[in-house]
Amino acid sequence: MKRTVERHLNILEFTLASLLRRRAKNLSLLAMYLLVIFMLASLQFFVTALKREAALILTDAPDMVVQRLTAGRQDLVPDRYGADIARIKGVTAVRPRLWGYYYDALNGANYTIMASDDTAAPPGAAIGAAIAKARNLQIGDLLPLISYDKSPVMLEIGSIFPSSSDLIAADLIVLSPADFQQLFNFPGGQATDLAVTVRNPKELPTVAAKIASQFPDSRPILKSEIQRTYQSIFDWRGGMTLIVLASALLSFIIFAWDKATGLSAEERKEIGILKSIGWETSDVLLLKFWEGLVISLTAFLLGVVLAYGHVFFLSAPLFAQALKGWSVIYPRFQLVPVVNAYQLAVLFFLTVVPYTTATVIPCWRAATIDPDAAMRY
Amino acid sequence: MILQPAVLALLLIALLVAGMGIYAGFYGMRILSRWDPTSGSEGQLELERRTYLISTIMSYILSFELMSLFLFIYTADDIHILFTGAMCAAGTLAVNSFGYPALLLKMVNFLLAGVWLIVNYVDNKGYDYPLIKTKYELLNVVVVLLVQESVLLLAYFSGVKPDVITSCCGSLFSHESTNLSGDLASLPHLPMQIAFFTGMAATAVSGIIFYLRGRIGYLFSLAATATFLIAATSVVSFICLYFYELPTHHCPFCLLQKEYGFIGYVLYATLFSGAVAGIGTGVLMPFRKIGSLIRIIPAIQRRLTLVTLIFYLLFTLIVSWKMVFSALKLG
Amino acid sequence: MIELSGITKSFNSGKPNQFTAVDNVSLTINPQQITVLKGPSGSGKTSLLTMIGCMARPTSGRIFLHGVAAAVPFQQEGVDSVEITSLPERFLNDIRRSTFGFIFQQFNLVKGISVLENVMLPAYPTGERRSDFRDRALDLLEQFSISRHAGQRIELLSGGELQRVAIARALINNPAIIIADEPTAHLDSKLSQEFMAIVGRMKGEGKSVLIASHDPIVFDSPLIDRLVEMRDGAVVNSGSPR
Repeated sequence: MKRTVERHLNILEFTLASLLRRRAKNLSLLAMYLLVIFMLASLQFFVTALKREAALILTDAPDMVVQRLTAGRQDLVPDRYGADIARIKGVTAVRPRLWGYYYDALNGANYTIMASDDTAAPPGAAIGAAIAKARNLQIGDLLPLISYDKSPVMLEIGSIFPSSSDLIAADLIVLSPADFQQLFNFPGGQATDLAVTVRNPKELPTVAAKIASQFPDSRPILKSEIQRTYQSIFDWRGGMTLIVLASALLSFIIFAWDKATGLSAEERKEIGILKSIGWETSDVLLLKFWEGLVISLTAFLLGVVLAYGHVFFLSAPLFAQALKGWSVIYPRFQLVPVVNAYQLAVLFFLTVVPYTTATVIPCWRAATIDPDAAMRY
Repeated sequence: MILQPAVLALLLIALLVAGMGIYAGFYGMRILSRWDPTSGSEGQLELERRTYLISTIMSYILSFELMSLFLFIYTADDIHILFTGAMCAAGTLAVNSFGYPALLLKMVNFLLAGVWLIVNYVDNKGYDYPLIKTKYELLNVVVVLLVQESVLLLAYFSGVKPDVITSCCGSLFSHESTNLSGDLASLPHLPMQIAFFTGMAATAVSGIIFYLRGRIGYLFSLAATATFLIAATSVVSFICLYFYELPTHHCPFCLLQKEYGFIGYVLYATLFSGAVAGIGTGVLMPFRKIGSLIRIIPAIQRRLTLVTLIFYLLFTLIVSWKMVFSALKLG
Repeated sequence: MIELSGITKSFNSGKPNQFTAVDNVSLTINPQQITVLKGPSGSGKTSLLTMIGCMARPTSGRIFLHGVAAAVPFQQEGVDSVEITSLPERFLNDIRRSTFGFIFQQFNLVKGISVLENVMLPAYPTGERRSDFRDRALDLLEQFSISRHAGQRIELLSGGELQRVAIARALINNPAIIIADEPTAHLDSKLSQEFMAIVGRMKGEGKSVLIASHDPIVFDSPLIDRLVEMRDGAVVNSGSPR
């Protein structure tokens, strides 16, 4: 056992020295490797962080939301529905929600408007940081919005949501129910949808089924369905981007294979010498294995660290467009770093494993060079 | 198809492993047909050089299989949220009929690859390539299974769509469930516990006898293999109950989670390693009399026996510890 | 003692450019003697040396090593001689590492690493402790009076110094047999004489030396015990010169 360890150490030492001796070739390989890992790791970190944010947001979402459909499109829900639903066994609370979208012609952005009768909140409307920035507003200012009958609704800004909540609140305006109804000429006794709370979460599908049968024009949506959908979308987007990157990965693999196969005459001679002075094929294979491992680990480590910085300090400028969606106002959010062993393992599988596989045969060819060749200069 | 990076990674690995396997198998067949160690012809020298490549490939396949086994389970766990009713990996794997077969085959392939490498190691120690035929015939079997595994994995992932209602491990591994996992879970505890400890004891005793006297090697290997199967069944049947401290939670995958200190990794690592060593010992038994291996095989077998004994002991200790100190007490 | 029986080495068998380097050579090399293979280039000396030195396998024929069993890490059926022709590479290599030391025509030292490292290289894969073989390497450098070059790159050394580095490297694993292929090809007369003196010392230490050369300084030297003449891959004269 001791002999094996010594053998590995000695050969490793020689490997490191020989890697340094052929700096140019190895640096170019390392650079490409690093780049590929960097891109994939950035993608991975970004998507995982977004998924986590989405999951966090959804924790406070209502377990079930009931909408009403007319001719397949979302319509307003009468309060009567809410009263009837509240009588269903297992339902603990039904809260009618008033919310909608407002198109601001000034900057072409869509705001989400929500009514809240939370008397504990400061008076006046609460707006998201992005809106404040876009319309240059501060607390105490007036925000004029145009209602559906062309008359202006002046909102006094009571508070601005902190930018840490940007992901959900960047384009949000919260105002009183009265202001909401005035702005949208909203009919009384109706709600946009109903938030339903159930005593036992396991009962949700049953209650949803009951609601759907009692009100055939209703559409109950479970939080779990939303979670699934978000997860799916992120996965799908992540996967699509990955496929695009796959071509980069493939080019790198071909490049690596080429580098491994194209031994210079110098290298070939050196291996011939090693074989002739007593190194066996398995010793040279070990040399090549260590070479591959050192390069892979270095590239992996550096690539991951750089990706971390790219995503969590710079907010991933390279990917943001593809993954966040298409909008006019962007929340200026800092992603919370999420790195775990699972992610790293996936990265490892997508990069180091193909690299190793591509270099198996070239390394073996190198290791089986005939020592005879060394004797004959 | 779920287009997640992890899934793509798993499929990539499966492809690479199958590809490398076929390549190795192709040259293995060539070696089987043209091998002649007494000849010094260039063809023979080329074949001898190839054996190095095949050994290297198989080592890589073994490590990839091991890593992808855990990645597979972890990914299944990660995407459980996409399926109604799935609470963990168990539910994800049940989404279509390829999930569990793929997992089982992965485990089998890991064991086989491990055994092959043991045979390869022994063969290399003999000065006249004594086990070369056996080795490459075994390789063909492994290659076929590797390809099959990749096909199953591909079939599984392409048949997986979010929102499909599936069984959660609760109903999958519950007593009422009528499929295999349900049957495993509903096995009565006491007989299983007796079987488990008996199996471990039998392996230990036969292992010690084999280690000291060199006899009943086949019996030991058989005991080790049977104990592996019993232990794996026991994990579902009663062992995980002690860890979860719930009499109804039979899922073997939740043990791998952080909540339980990742103890699942330790348990499965010890069990599988012990199994590979035990099976390997048995596989080597028929070759003990071969001239070039007369001294070599017994020595290696003793080392393997030690591995099995130590790892199985570790497994038993962890399980016993938990049985004694768990908040759950089974009748 | 090394016994060769019907050794043939041919390349590209069956093809139109088939070339036979060594043709049915049977020979016995005695231990603790200096044996010289004499003949023009292309006579098969180098090929024969590679086969004796466990570096290549003959196309047909048998090679036996007698009395080297002690150095061999495995056991072959109770005799102290080893038939090396059908051994797997790793066993051949084990024998080579422990029994033979090679000196090449072009020295074949690795560029870019120091003299000391060059001398230590053959010992790396043996699993021996680094400090042990490092000490041995330094001793050898001392023995050949090149200690002061230990840390230098080999590109900076003169021909004679390189030769001594090559010899030191050949001795690092304490081999019983030294094989040298045209060792004086790139040396002037004085250095060639020095080389033969070193060879004589090695014989005095109980080593066997096998040299292939067409240099008269080598094959006419009074130190050698036996001269084997080769031509076109066959032995034409294997008598003793004395």
